[in-house]
Amino acid sequence: MSVVAHKDPKLAGRAIELPEGPEWVSALRVFDGHVAETLASVAHTLYPHDGLPERVYRRVVAQFDRMAAASPNAAQMMAQLVDLVDEAMPLPFVELSDGYRTEVLKRIEGTPAFRLVQRSTVRFLYDDIEVWQAFGYEGASVHLGGYVKRGFDDLDWLPDPPAAS
Amino acid sequence: MDAISTPKRYDLDDDGVVVIIGSGAGGGTLAHELTRRGVEVVLMEAGKHLTAEDFVNDEWGGYEMLSWLDKRTASGSWRVAKDHPEAPSWHCQVVGGTTTHWSGCCYRLIADEMRARSVYGEIPGTSLIDWPITLEELEPYYDLAETKMGVTGTNGLPPLPPNNNFKVMYWGASRLGFDVSTGRHAINSVDYDGRPATIQDGFTITGDKTGSRWSTLNVEIPRALATGKLDLRPQSRAVQVEHDAAGKASGVVYVDGNGVRQRQKARAVVLAGNCVESPRLLLHSASGRFPNGLANGWGHVGRHYLRHVIQTVWSVFDKPVNMHRGEIMTGLVRDFVRHDPARGFAGGYYVELNSMGLPTTAAFLEPGWWGRDFVSVIEQYSHMAGMLLSGEDMPQPGNRVTLTDELDAFGVPVANIHYDDHPNDLRLRSHGYKTMTAIHKAAGAKRIIEAPAYPASHNLGSNRMAARAEDGVLDGNGRAHEMRNLFVADGSSFATGGACNPTLTIVALAIRQADFIAGQMAKGEL
Repeated sequence: MSVVAHKDPKLAGRAIELPEGPEWVSALRVFDGHVAETLASVAHTLYPHDGLPERVYRRVVAQFDRMAAASPNAAQMMAQLVDLVDEAMPLPFVELSDGYRTEVLKRIEGTPAFRLVQRSTVRFLYDDIEVWQAFGYEGASVHLGGYVKRGFDDLDWLPDPPAAS
Repeated sequence: MDAISTPKRYDLDDDGVVVIIGSGAGGGTLAHELTRRGVEVVLMEAGKHLTAEDFVNDEWGGYEMLSWLDKRTASGSWRVAKDHPEAPSWHCQVVGGTTTHWSGCCYRLIADEMRARSVYGEIPGTSLIDWPITLEELEPYYDLAETKMGVTGTNGLPPLPPNNNFKVMYWGASRLGFDVSTGRHAINSVDYDGRPATIQDGFTITGDKTGSRWSTLNVEIPRALATGKLDLRPQSRAVQVEHDAAGKASGVVYVDGNGVRQRQKARAVVLAGNCVESPRLLLHSASGRFPNGLANGWGHVGRHYLRHVIQTVWSVFDKPVNMHRGEIMTGLVRDFVRHDPARGFAGGYYVELNSMGLPTTAAFLEPGWWGRDFVSVIEQYSHMAGMLLSGEDMPQPGNRVTLTDELDAFGVPVANIHYDDHPNDLRLRSHGYKTMTAIHKAAGAKRIIEAPAYPASHNLGSNRMAARAEDGVLDGNGRAHEMRNLFVADGSSFATGGACNPTLTIVALAIRQADFIAGQMAKGEL
């Protein structure tokens, strides 16, 4: 149920734009291509939305890249996660089938590195305006007059409550 | 904000001022009520002085802008320790405190809740007491608070209108025969007190950009400044309360916005920094005379910490709900607030409407949940409805705020919050999940998620008031039993938690405390 969503005008300038295709990794500051592709693949395996384009997962990794640039500890954890998922099977994570990828992530669920990456994926994936639009979240509204005349009470498949007293 | 052309500035050595630490519901209200009565006040706030212009309609942006983000640690059996180990409680660090973030729910404690120990009886493992004041004593102040805040459903103000999410809750709850309404809020349904009616923007928790919701930032503090008696000091981090040779509070050491350590002398000191910071300051202010911290002779500072039994239910429906549109908590079921031993637990709870945007719904639905099932739920965000339970948790002496060995940037030990669920809390929790599930089921939900508690936002009780010094930190006026010019004005003063959202009670207590302090001053006793 696709909608038009709005970021608060104050924050609109902070959106991440990445090149389409494999060169997206060139826009990153810390991660090399392998780390970036692996993390994108991990994010996708964690939250496999069939209707979303790959670029939303890449933008999540671009946010991780910013985290890594700002925090040596975060950088270390991200690198650790890539090592963990690459060492779990005889193949690198990005070459595994979906089923094996899921199995590998289940195996390392208890690690601090997994926890950081999983929580951070939620933090950034569902804060992406393209994802908002895909799932029907319209976002900022005050600059449009709120929702008072834009459907705050337009639900019509249940009877309306009696006038409040 | 009305700019004050010449901000009041009291001298650091002026020992005639009342110093209040924290500018939220308790501190901000008290600052206004005291200055209105002619008392000179220095109001210290660790956070910045932001305005409506600064706020954003953005969940994470608002969280990062307003929240108290300094590290804390968590221990105990509560789920929060696992999910949010370094951010176990959620409140603000900004002028206006957590009133910049709250959802405006305004309910009164009921008489039985204020006599919890007498009414519920002895419950093993708890440290239940009765409040040292009665509901009857508090009622006139509740009236004043409701008028001040413009609470809907009082003073002839109409309730907030039903929104989409409420229509779902209403249908389910009314089919089950429950007493359901949109409830009462300090959010204008019509223009009131110079503030406009809500435009239903849905972002009350990230700072109110239109001024339709009462906060100390947009009501109490400007009015206090207008008296000419208030010296507001944002970005001033209190690190210690000092006392004199007679054992009275004499001043507050704080770090100003330039990182310089200052000492403000005081006639009286009021702590209003929320339930972690207030006990943390008292404990950290230990001295030769008070080796366990100030006001802690009986060891109650930081203990009996409460956070309410809070939980949410998110349900998926066949048709769209769009719960993100409109005020987020305009719904209330009142059937379960009265103590009824037949239910198998003491105390009660309210079911309230709740919505979140996609970013925080995803984060709080079940932290740690991933994979295809999660995806199948969150993809239906636009078809989701939500409710929240706020119920009474049991005070336990071991649920407490303590100091760790780790120092923060100001040289103050990082706080740990320990919380173990009491069996009564778990029985209430289970009962509440069943009630909420039944409501959404009756409205046609096809999938219901019982979400866990998120970081505690109804922080209460960690400097509780009690009739006797051996039972608590404060007397019924919020004054320390052991220090006659030291007060607490935040939710940490609650003797027990009751079930309802605490802000209205914090404000009522602050107005009452202003009467008391001004009266003591007039008598020359303070």
